[in-house]
Amino acid sequence: MGGAASLSSTPLLGRAAQANPDQPAPQPQDDGDPAHYKPTFFNQEEYLFLYHACERLFPQDENGPGAQALGVPRFIDKQMNTPYGLGALWYMQAPFVEGPPELGYQLPYTPRDLYRGAITPINTHCLIRYNALFAALPPEQQDNVLHALESNTLRFNDIPGAAFFEQLRTNTLEGAFSDPAYGGNHNMEGWKMMGFPGARADFMDWINQEGAPYPFGPVGMPPKANPYSPAFQNDEEG
Amino acid sequence: MTSLFSRSSSKTLSSALRPLLMAGLGLLGLAGAALPTRTAQAADAPLPAGLIEEGHYQAILGDCAACHSQPGRPPYSGGMPFKLPIGTIYSTNISPDPVHGIGRYTEAEFARAVQLGIRKDGSALYPAMPYPSYARLSKADIHALYVYFQRGVTPQPVDPPANGIIWPLSMRWPLHIWRWLFSPSIQSAQHSTNNQFSDPVLARGAYLVEGPGHCGACHSPRSIALNEKAQTAKDGPLFLSGGGVVEQWVVPSLRQENRTGLGRWSEQDIVDFLRTGRARTGASFGGMSPVIVHSAHAFKDDDLHAIARYLMQLAPARKETPWVYDPTTAEKLRHADLSQPGAQIYVDRCAACHRTDGAGYGSVFPPLAGNPVVMTDDATSLIHIILAGDSTHALHTTPSAFAMPSFADTLSDKEIADVVSFIRQSWGNNSKGVKEGAVRRIRKNLPQLETPAQLPKN
Amino acid sequence: MTDETSPPKRPDVLIIGAGWAGSIMAKELTEAGLTVTMLERGHDHSTAVEGTYPSSIDELRGAVRKRLFQKLSRTSLTIRNRPDQTALPYRQLAAFLPGEGVGGAGLHWSGCHFRATEDDLRLRSATIERYGQKFIPKDMHLQDYGVTYKELEPFFDKAEKVFGTSGEAASVRGQKTGKGNIFAPDRSDHFPLPPMADTFSASVFRKAAAETGYHPFSIPAANASQPYTNPYGCQMGPCNFCGYCSGYACYLYSKASPNVNILPTLRRDKRFTLITEAQVLEIMLDDTRKKATGVRYADLKIQSEKTLEADLVILSAFQLHNVHLMLVSGIGKPYDPVTQTGTIGRNFTYQTITSSRIWLPKDRFTSQFVGAGGAGVAIDDFNQPGFDRGKAGFIGGSPIWVNQAGLKPIAAAQGSGGKGEPRWGSAYKSAVIDQYRHSFGIDAHGSNMAYRDVYLDLDPTWRNAYGQPMLRMTFTWKDNDIRMNQYVVKHIGDIAQTMGATRIGLNSLQQGQPFDSRVYQTTHLNGGVIMGENPKTSALNRYLQSWDVSNLFVIGSSAFPQGMGYNPTGLVAALAYWSAYHIRRTYLRNPGPMVSA
Repeated sequence: MGGAASLSSTPLLGRAAQANPDQPAPQPQDDGDPAHYKPTFFNQEEYLFLYHACERLFPQDENGPGAQALGVPRFIDKQMNTPYGLGALWYMQAPFVEGPPELGYQLPYTPRDLYRGAITPINTHCLIRYNALFAALPPEQQDNVLHALESNTLRFNDIPGAAFFEQLRTNTLEGAFSDPAYGGNHNMEGWKMMGFPGARADFMDWINQEGAPYPFGPVGMPPKANPYSPAFQNDEEG
Repeated sequence: MTSLFSRSSSKTLSSALRPLLMAGLGLLGLAGAALPTRTAQAADAPLPAGLIEEGHYQAILGDCAACHSQPGRPPYSGGMPFKLPIGTIYSTNISPDPVHGIGRYTEAEFARAVQLGIRKDGSALYPAMPYPSYARLSKADIHALYVYFQRGVTPQPVDPPANGIIWPLSMRWPLHIWRWLFSPSIQSAQHSTNNQFSDPVLARGAYLVEGPGHCGACHSPRSIALNEKAQTAKDGPLFLSGGGVVEQWVVPSLRQENRTGLGRWSEQDIVDFLRTGRARTGASFGGMSPVIVHSAHAFKDDDLHAIARYLMQLAPARKETPWVYDPTTAEKLRHADLSQPGAQIYVDRCAACHRTDGAGYGSVFPPLAGNPVVMTDDATSLIHIILAGDSTHALHTTPSAFAMPSFADTLSDKEIADVVSFIRQSWGNNSKGVKEGAVRRIRKNLPQLETPAQLPKN
Repeated sequence: MTDETSPPKRPDVLIIGAGWAGSIMAKELTEAGLTVTMLERGHDHSTAVEGTYPSSIDELRGAVRKRLFQKLSRTSLTIRNRPDQTALPYRQLAAFLPGEGVGGAGLHWSGCHFRATEDDLRLRSATIERYGQKFIPKDMHLQDYGVTYKELEPFFDKAEKVFGTSGEAASVRGQKTGKGNIFAPDRSDHFPLPPMADTFSASVFRKAAAETGYHPFSIPAANASQPYTNPYGCQMGPCNFCGYCSGYACYLYSKASPNVNILPTLRRDKRFTLITEAQVLEIMLDDTRKKATGVRYADLKIQSEKTLEADLVILSAFQLHNVHLMLVSGIGKPYDPVTQTGTIGRNFTYQTITSSRIWLPKDRFTSQFVGAGGAGVAIDDFNQPGFDRGKAGFIGGSPIWVNQAGLKPIAAAQGSGGKGEPRWGSAYKSAVIDQYRHSFGIDAHGSNMAYRDVYLDLDPTWRNAYGQPMLRMTFTWKDNDIRMNQYVVKHIGDIAQTMGATRIGLNSLQQGQPFDSRVYQTTHLNGGVIMGENPKTSALNRYLQSWDVSNLFVIGSSAFPQGMGYNPTGLVAALAYWSAYHIRRTYLRNPGPMVSA
């Protein structure tokens, strides 16, 4: 869990945060850094790929921390052990037939399958093409690989590059902005960047303040609500 | 503030009292079972129309089910456990079963038990059975009640679980002395209650509150000998001026104190509260909720108004500067000033339902600003409900119920102490703050929280 | 409520589906003294569990992982754009989000609570009267409901009082109030609650729309603007604009749902039994095929099949499932798009909706996380009956509104970028943050007409977990509706200019653009078991009684002959009360067809 959900919220003047982007982002601990985080689903090589690919999609910059500092790779690793990761939320009956994109996802692969099936071949591709694993490439080359995936010019083990890319992008954004209890959005830094107040859910005084910034920092779910506990997930599976 | 007792001694006595008093109930039914005499049931005799219904209503007024009906057991078969230091005892079967219940009680024996606390075998009941209040019941009401318990209730041939009390603690003879000292005779009880008011509505209110409703059992202070220090309006300002702390809930005053009593409640507020467990001015929680659920919500409209009118003429027991809404806190919160300790917690976890102005939302989410239970000298109730959460109840008078979640896992002792102090000192509330230690003590004795299956369904 | 472990062996009425339609019917029919057993495929749902504060305030679990929605792993449907394509399974929830469990979609809806316009209910007749028969495009199945606004008015009113709807009446018993939607038809009473407050974005839109010459009004919202007790005694809390309506159980009890507004009284009624985790597989018929005898269902608690019999069957599942159950039960004749015969699956329609976006200067914060699902400001100038379609050249119309329902950051991030803008990297990140803080959306929420080759039938290939063929949807955007959308969106641009937008991102449908099942549209699916006056072109008579099986009533938006500009729930509820009224008044006294075919 990382116990990242913080109970106390951090007062933050939205305007001030907006105006002072130079303020250094706090350096979080236990952020899912491969040096000390032990993944539960991914192997080390896969996790290293994830760790660097996410950061390219959502990089640290003047707006604030990127996917690595937010714990996004850790979030994705944890999600692989949920009904979602196992594909239990999707209709997965055969036959699987390719069709026009408008008719939606038609692959026989669960989120786990997509990651497991694509990461190693992408690394192999990087080795052949650039003589290094994805994680070791300079950012520009990493971006080239990601663009090739996004535009579907790369395809591995019957997994279209675009399908993998969309999976990765979707999960990266989820990890950046979901409650810290899930393992990402470390210290609610993702929410602070957006100016989102989290789980406070009371805007009676703020329905219309004529465009003034909302003044309160975010608040997380209760620290003991472990969303990876079976009790929490039961109703998700139905 | 009571003049006779310090807060702490009163609390200790009262929390000890409730289980002790309940023990008496355990003995009533045993007596019936132990002494087989002729059956009192005059079965098949024709009854005046409506008498059983009237008796049923009397049982609701007296809230007999509160102690004698236990979820999961047949109605009125007892079995409610009362955990005492001397062992667990169980309330008894008061259904008309001749062996296991009170089927062999004559009407006179029944009246003597209900009104004087003397069992069929002549021994005394623990004063948990509120017979000093029931002594005020009219002969007609006792008759209806008797008929109901003999003819309107299904006999249940079951025993509650066996008690485990060891001699000499099980001796009952000292209770006779208590009874002789503090329990009124039927005549004097009825005389003192019935002759206070010429207004028939107030007289009815006095009868209901002092008699079957036995409000004083919890809401009046008790002396060192555990007797209620006042039993009627005539007995002076201690009557219904607030009891001690029972099961970590503070029992508030029902008199007209401006801040900590019903001084700012209208007649309709009191009626709404008793009928539905919720009013514009506050919602029922803790120990009062079962009273609403089993008893008060089913009172007739006239009776509810009589009770309200009667309560509203009880002069304040303490002088309090009138509560006036102070907008300072709300203004500060609206302008994002969270400098007051506890303000951040309040905004993050409480304001969603109770609002930054403390006004709550009508009878759905109760106000904290000016709510008497928030301002009682002892903050135990407020701490308790934040830790444990609570729900109002679905009733035929109000099918919706509302749940407040437990914050035991969400907030630390320090945070709860801060937010409780914040609530007690904002919006014109002026009670003293609380310390972390108080929260820790209450947390240690927290009862089992409601499970999802027990929560309201709406 | 009678314990579901010992339901009556043979209730008077079986109700399939515990959403709004089913709950209204259950309430009405128990009031009539009947015993009612309601079957629901999902779990029971309550505010205290599904809406616990604050742990339900969780975007990932709610709207993203779709906690309260249909479990696709058990059953879905297939989709194609044209009849010559192979339809493929809808494997991931996206374009539309049917519910599952007690409350149905009525638990996780937003709360926009409209009536219908007078013309919506008789669109074919009104179009011919105004523009002539020739104005109706070939292959458009334009039809009347068979019931008028005037007939439905008392039931619209009743539904608003049950839902605790917040709004502003323009005309009550002929009296003009000078407020509200000036194009709305007359009402017998005011809304039970005053309108919801305007968010900042809605207030900006209100001002600009009025300045542009349009007629803004507060969207009628089944979000309580104040604490409320409805005629059943059920209480609602007040909405505090927390923004967790759509996709969530409202933790404040302030969004109307069957769970909060109707079921509390049913649960106290001995005549009522609720059986959850009961997936109905078939409505059983007798040998004449003209009478329903009961249902066959899968008891998911013990994984076995059961049957239940009753005198009267109410089918009130979600629109798609109503159609599916009619088809798999062999009731009525399936629609054939070639011969244009048969009625089940005919006139399937949707909602023609696009969202445009307006950016304000950097010193104005739109706080898009503040919101209420049903609240906002709308104009009806391009939806009201008097708007001249002859000149515009299309049938139908579209309200325009700012309906800030509470935008959460995952959805905001997923929806940013694309259409030439970066979808990842630093530039994307800056754009997401800017868009979240300073922009807001304006929707064109339009009608959707019925067409010969847009329909529902059974899929030949894919099956659900119970071995049944799944439903097959053949749907795409058609010329008339695309032109309507483009016309209306153009006017959003005018309003946006007036409000001083720094950037305007208009979004309209393009000719030839196929329906894309990957992008959320709305869950406003209609038709397939429609009501009408002619058994050749409708499955139900005007009382929502099956023409073929007279002791079967099919309640829901499945009865709409075409999709209207407004959200469907208000009309679903009114039709349910209308049908129940006539069942109580007429059918129960003399069971049998209430209209002769």
